[in-house]
Amino acid sequence: MTQRAGIFTVADMTANDVYSPEADIWGGVQLAPAVRAEMATKVYGGGATAVRALDAVSLAIPARRFTAIMGPSGSGKSTLMHCMAGLDDLTSGRVYVGEVDLGTLSDKELTRLRRDRIGFVFQAYNLLPMLTARENITLPLDLAGRKADRGWLGRVIDTVGLGDRLKHRPSELSGGQQQRVAVARALASRPEVIFADEPTGNLDSRSGGEILAFMRAAVDEMGQTIVMVTHDPNAAAHADEVVFLADGRIVDVMAAPTADTVLEHMKALGS
Amino acid sequence: MWKTTLRSVGAHKRRLLATCLAVMFGVAFLSATLVVGDTMTAGFSDIFAESNAGTDAVVRSANEVGDEDIVERGLVDAGLADQIAQVDGVAAVAPEIQSTGRIVGADGDPLGGNGPPTFAGNWITDERLNPFHLVAGRAPAAPGEAVIDKAAATEGDLKVGDTTTIRVPEPVEVTIVGLAGFGGADSAGPTTYAAFTTDWATQLLMPEAGKATSIRVAAEPGVSQDDLVRRLDPVLPHGVESLTGHQLTAEMEDNIQGDFLGFFSNALLVFAGVSLVVATFSIYNTFSILVAQRTRESALLRALGASRGQVLRSITVEALAVGIVASAIGIVAGIGLAAGMLAAFDAIGMSLPAHALVVGTGSVVTAASVGVVVTLLAAVVPAVRASRTAPLAALRAVAVDRSASSWWRAGAGLAVTGAGAAAVVAGVSGDGNFPLTGLGALLSLVGMVLLGPVVARPAAAVLGAPGAATRGVTGSLARRNAMRNPRRTAGTASALMVGVAVVALFTVVAASIKESMRDTIAAQFDGDLVISDSSFSIVPLSADLAPAIAELPEVDETSALANAPVRADGQDMIATTFEPATFDRMIDLGVTGGGSMADVGPDEVAVTQSYADAHHLSLGDPLPLTFPDGASAEPAVGAIYDHGELMGDVLLPSALFQPHTSTKGDLVVMITLADGVTAAQAEPAIQAVADRYGAPDVQTGAEYVEAAAGQVDQILNLVYGLLVLAIIIALMGIANTLSLSIHERSRELGLLRAVGQTRRQLRSLVRGEAATVALFGTLGGVGLGIFLGWAMVDTLSSEGFTSFAIPTGPLAVVMVIGALVGVVAAVRPARRAARMDVLEAIATD
Repeated sequence: MTQRAGIFTVADMTANDVYSPEADIWGGVQLAPAVRAEMATKVYGGGATAVRALDAVSLAIPARRFTAIMGPSGSGKSTLMHCMAGLDDLTSGRVYVGEVDLGTLSDKELTRLRRDRIGFVFQAYNLLPMLTARENITLPLDLAGRKADRGWLGRVIDTVGLGDRLKHRPSELSGGQQQRVAVARALASRPEVIFADEPTGNLDSRSGGEILAFMRAAVDEMGQTIVMVTHDPNAAAHADEVVFLADGRIVDVMAAPTADTVLEHMKALGS
Repeated sequence: MWKTTLRSVGAHKRRLLATCLAVMFGVAFLSATLVVGDTMTAGFSDIFAESNAGTDAVVRSANEVGDEDIVERGLVDAGLADQIAQVDGVAAVAPEIQSTGRIVGADGDPLGGNGPPTFAGNWITDERLNPFHLVAGRAPAAPGEAVIDKAAATEGDLKVGDTTTIRVPEPVEVTIVGLAGFGGADSAGPTTYAAFTTDWATQLLMPEAGKATSIRVAAEPGVSQDDLVRRLDPVLPHGVESLTGHQLTAEMEDNIQGDFLGFFSNALLVFAGVSLVVATFSIYNTFSILVAQRTRESALLRALGASRGQVLRSITVEALAVGIVASAIGIVAGIGLAAGMLAAFDAIGMSLPAHALVVGTGSVVTAASVGVVVTLLAAVVPAVRASRTAPLAALRAVAVDRSASSWWRAGAGLAVTGAGAAAVVAGVSGDGNFPLTGLGALLSLVGMVLLGPVVARPAAAVLGAPGAATRGVTGSLARRNAMRNPRRTAGTASALMVGVAVVALFTVVAASIKESMRDTIAAQFDGDLVISDSSFSIVPLSADLAPAIAELPEVDETSALANAPVRADGQDMIATTFEPATFDRMIDLGVTGGGSMADVGPDEVAVTQSYADAHHLSLGDPLPLTFPDGASAEPAVGAIYDHGELMGDVLLPSALFQPHTSTKGDLVVMITLADGVTAAQAEPAIQAVADRYGAPDVQTGAEYVEAAAGQVDQILNLVYGLLVLAIIIALMGIANTLSLSIHERSRELGLLRAVGQTRRQLRSLVRGEAATVALFGTLGGVGLGIFLGWAMVDTLSSEGFTSFAIPTGPLAVVMVIGALVGVVAAVRPARRAARMDVLEAIATD
């Protein structure tokens, strides 16, 4: 998989911009999105009780960037992430990871894609309790039966900074340490994109800050692509861009966010 | 609280269903056993009542000797019937001759046998005294004529006017002149019956003229059975007794209960017990997990003010509900199972009297109470644990189980296992103390169950290692899952362990029996060929067979053996008759005193050293004997030998026993061949003679052993069939535990799937865990089974167990099956786990 350096940022587009596949152009700028959604629509239930969790969302996640997706509860941010990560399927529309249309993949191929090309960090219960920290980190590689790239893995582990605690089990690690292990696991297989679902949601602010700094470093120093769903403006402030969702639609995009500007924006959206 | 309990039952339907199934299977087997026992008893009772329907009194010899199923009663003088006829109140009287004879069918194969007796006797012309009645043709009127029962005629394709052979045991040619029915049926249960004129029957079946087996008497109207017996007593000579028809029926029922049915029912009850023990473990395990999963729920109840007692009662009531419902279904299923079992026994040729299913109140109450009590017992321990949940536990995550490997448990487990093993060893040493061995066996089992959680972790680590090494991270995860909750792993494995231990025990004991037979025959049988009926038929070989074979030029000598029911030194037993002149050529019993067996005179006996010791006998001492005909003798001990496994403890020369018995014929004929003749050369000629006498195949010593070993295997297969149920219950226990564990770990499994575990890998993970747990239980069971098998064999070494054998092949198969049970049990939980929705699984509440 060749990764083209992204020169386009989400900040360059507005909510009304339309993606044009023929030109591979968005708002006139050449891009190299790691993941992109086209008219992604997800409807739960049917008839009168149907809920439109995603309503024709089109979005490109630029490579080597840290993108935050924000929105009030029920805005569809988690659904969007799950659909982009191949954990859930769309009612209509398309999602591409790189060049691959997820809608054309079987369950087995989706699993492989998740294993080989996508990393996950969940809010909690990220680790298998009977595996050591190190084993948890290499789990996706072990599942694939692949040998870890020694140099890369060493770098990831160095960045995690757990040192001698790598042989410990999750129950012997603090919440912050557990989340660092989870991020390291997501990094270990060198995926094209890492999805993080409220990774700091269960942490105190100091541990949360450490995790966010760690993710930031992964993007800046290791060239990773991270998409983070959060409702915490402080967390979103660590991102390069913030995508705001409400009622299943992208309502705004903000570049170079700070905690204050995000908070203000959220207030403006009425959440 | 009651409402909460009922809700709780409803909420855990699926999991409780599996528990219900375990109880249900156990109860079903138990009630089926009881129903089968009752039904067979009723079937036999019907036959006995019908046979004695018109008979108000029976006059017979008071002397009966022998043991177990080989007993012989003396005869009476048929002339006594005339005296009895003179007694006031007697309406009819008839001497009865009853012996054995096998009817040969139109195709040349003998009918019946394989357990149920094949009767031959005289046709009693007085309808009142004859339980049979003619349904076709006429009564026999001359020698050479016979009536046979209609069922035998149908089975053997025989009809009135046909000629065939009846072996009594000498083959005699008969013309069938009539067919008999028994009550409303075509035969007296599974037995066959052939009847001749009284004169011819006496000639064929009685040792001398003027003798009869018994005399049947019918009373005149108004004379009760008791009255009749009182009136008869004065005319009876010494050594002859009379009893009422009712007494006779009751005695026959007692006898069949005592030997055949008693053994049969007890054996079935043992297997029902094994199933229930296995079920108990499954129930215990399920309730433990349910309780663990509800720790928060119970703690919340406690926090809201429920007392410990209320929480305890809640779970107890839940168990009670499960127990009652499952027992009820189990009993219904058991009645169906009973019908199936009876049909199966019939299909494998175990003929039993037909009777409608008897579902006694006793059986229902017993099965139901056992089911409910077992469920309650298995639920109480987890219930007590749940009631101890501290209210604050609601706020904490479910704790990791650490109690499993406590020092207390390790200590207690080791102590109990050690005590059990010590008791077994103590029971085995010396003369063999069976109760002590049994107690030790029970203690060992309890100890191993206690130790289970302590060893589960290291054992799962070792057993899961091959999988971890070959199946990458999936295998490694499976291994660790098996290790992570030792108490659960051990509980699940225990159920399988008990079942497998019993399987292994029987496998080892059966192998040891076969090995003992091989060793004994190899060491003691010096003859070339042997003829012995290895089927369960009680019709012996014709007494003329041995002399006829001895005439052949290929044959050097023959020597025959027969059963000799006697009372020796006041004790009823089965001795064996032998022919001293030829015996030494055939059998080496290790004679230690008195020279050789050939030196045993016609008024002497030979006994084993152990018998001599027990009865304080030495060479030349008299051994008081009572024979079937009531005669007594005090033959001297003429030889003392070492090996009693083959022939038993007491050997009587034929010449000493024959004059005192009414049974003719031999049990075994042993043959040595003339110099230079091989077995292969001699067999056709010998077989030709044997065929003439309707004798079974001629065998070499090795063939004889293998035929006998085949019977052991047949019984073993029956045992395996009965144990299948226990294994199924264990299998369901494993499946249930897995389902619960998967439910508990759904978040974890969802995570695995999210980070790229394929469905196939997930299924393999669940299977791997199950296989590891199953292998743990199987290994424990095989180990325990071998140990207990050794104990049993050693304890019973005086009963002919000379060799202890560990059959590696069959045990390896048992182990593979054990592991497979795990994999099979995992199929459904694994499929369910793989189908699980990833998003739902990882959703944090």
